[in-house]
Amino acid sequence: MPRAATASRATSALIWAGLGLVLLFLYAPLVPPAIHSFEGAATAGFFRNYAAIFHDERLMRALRTSLAVGLLVALIAPALALLAAEAVRTWRMPRLIIAIMLLPLFVPGISMGLATGLLFQILGIKPSLLTITAVHVLWALPFAFLIVLTVMASFDQVYLEAAYMSGANRVRAFLEVELPQIRQGVVGAAVFSLIISFNETIRTSVVQGGRNTVQTYLWSQYQQVGLSPHLFALMTLIIVITLALIALVALIDWRRRTA
Amino acid sequence: MRLPGRVRLSHLLVLGLPLLLIAGLILGPLLITLAISVFEKKGFWISPAFTLDSYRLFLTGVRLEVLERSFRVAFASTAIMLLIAYPIAYVITLRVRAELTRAFLFLFAVPFLVNYIVRTFAWADILSRTGFVNAALIRLGLIDQPLDWLLFSDFAVYLGLVTAYMPFMIFPIWLSLSGVDRRLLEASWMLGEPPLATFRRVTFPLSLPGVFAAAIFGFVGSFGEVAVSLILGGTGYQLLGNAVASALDVLNYPLAAAISTVATGLMLALLIVWYRLFDIRLLLGKIMGRA
Repeated sequence: MPRAATASRATSALIWAGLGLVLLFLYAPLVPPAIHSFEGAATAGFFRNYAAIFHDERLMRALRTSLAVGLLVALIAPALALLAAEAVRTWRMPRLIIAIMLLPLFVPGISMGLATGLLFQILGIKPSLLTITAVHVLWALPFAFLIVLTVMASFDQVYLEAAYMSGANRVRAFLEVELPQIRQGVVGAAVFSLIISFNETIRTSVVQGGRNTVQTYLWSQYQQVGLSPHLFALMTLIIVITLALIALVALIDWRRRTA
Repeated sequence: MRLPGRVRLSHLLVLGLPLLLIAGLILGPLLITLAISVFEKKGFWISPAFTLDSYRLFLTGVRLEVLERSFRVAFASTAIMLLIAYPIAYVITLRVRAELTRAFLFLFAVPFLVNYIVRTFAWADILSRTGFVNAALIRLGLIDQPLDWLLFSDFAVYLGLVTAYMPFMIFPIWLSLSGVDRRLLEASWMLGEPPLATFRRVTFPLSLPGVFAAAIFGFVGSFGEVAVSLILGGTGYQLLGNAVASALDVLNYPLAAAISTVATGLMLALLIVWYRLFDIRLLLGKIMGRA
């Protein structure tokens, strides 16, 4: 039936064209900042706008804050995610634990920022690196949790029982038997948490006080004076760093799968 | 496997304390927001009271317009996002070879991870009067004058919201679609149902947990949006999140808390309905290795 075959080939082409179009729309916004970041490059040096980033003292401070917070989040979020995933496996209320862990995904950014900001204010905790870190951990946690759940599910618990029978306690069995096997997944969750933290704006802007992260610096500059070429250079760097970190996650995942 | 009591107690401490801390840090602030929403504004801070003044203030005058617009925009954009995300999830589940599934999901996840505010700035640039779209249309001779409705319009806001939230909606839908037992589809075929009827009566109903989860994510996100409306909507285009932000700017905490509570209250109501209708473990079956 050549007619039916042509029809199905046409449908197929239509489907792939549709997917391609959506991907085009999703990836298109990654391009303009790079183009604008080289504005004036012909007259004043190719990387002039990038060099300007390093002469902006406030921005450099913001960069250090982002880095410090990101590293803390990358350490804390996967650890908490591991504990929560362990609790899901151990206790008889997995639905409730999962629901609470995933809740931050659904809270609008500004509401989450406001809510945690009010909590800190009532407890008398001044805005600091740690308040920013706390909000970022809450935001990264659902993602880290889902990743850790996935890798823990791929681990055969028979190994744990073997460890118990050889006399290991829970902690030792986890550290010496399970953790080495799911290590790459946990590292993946850590890098993922770093990505989430590095790309957060609205939640941070409510709890940061006088400090800035790279993202809130960009956001406040936009609101106060508008975008300038060196901010486009900054956006380009943000995009490039994020893509590099994603590539790292992909590499870790690929090695976990082929190992 | 029964464990001795001593071990179980330490277990309770090691797992329970962090879990309580997390739950407290997630739920506590929302409850505090609720409490503060009925407090009185006093100077630049608050004083305990029970008054619905902040809610009254929110629901009268220009701010009511913000609530109406938030509902309208959130409904419409969620519908658009589902109409895009569902076919994508469907194609990835049923048309893409199994070993390529992860690669496809990954392809859609990458842009989502780049801060959506940066991506929204880029849209403002692409859609501006001198931006790429207008320049291309003029070059092609399709228009003489730049199109005005591309930026600072409903169109721009919808586009921004869709690119901000839609990519993540693919995952829950894909999760529930990939959990559908293929034998059910074969059974439906063998019982003589045409493909469309199989979809309508078997595949679609079974994918509802993912669809609803995705819809709640997109709806609440758009409803409480701050950045997309500010950047792409232009002056005066406020969604609920903008109303919270402007109440915060004038340090009216009870008002900010009241507006925020409207958004989180709506979110919790939707999530509770979801939780009662569906089993979260079934949706995560694939992730938790029970599929």
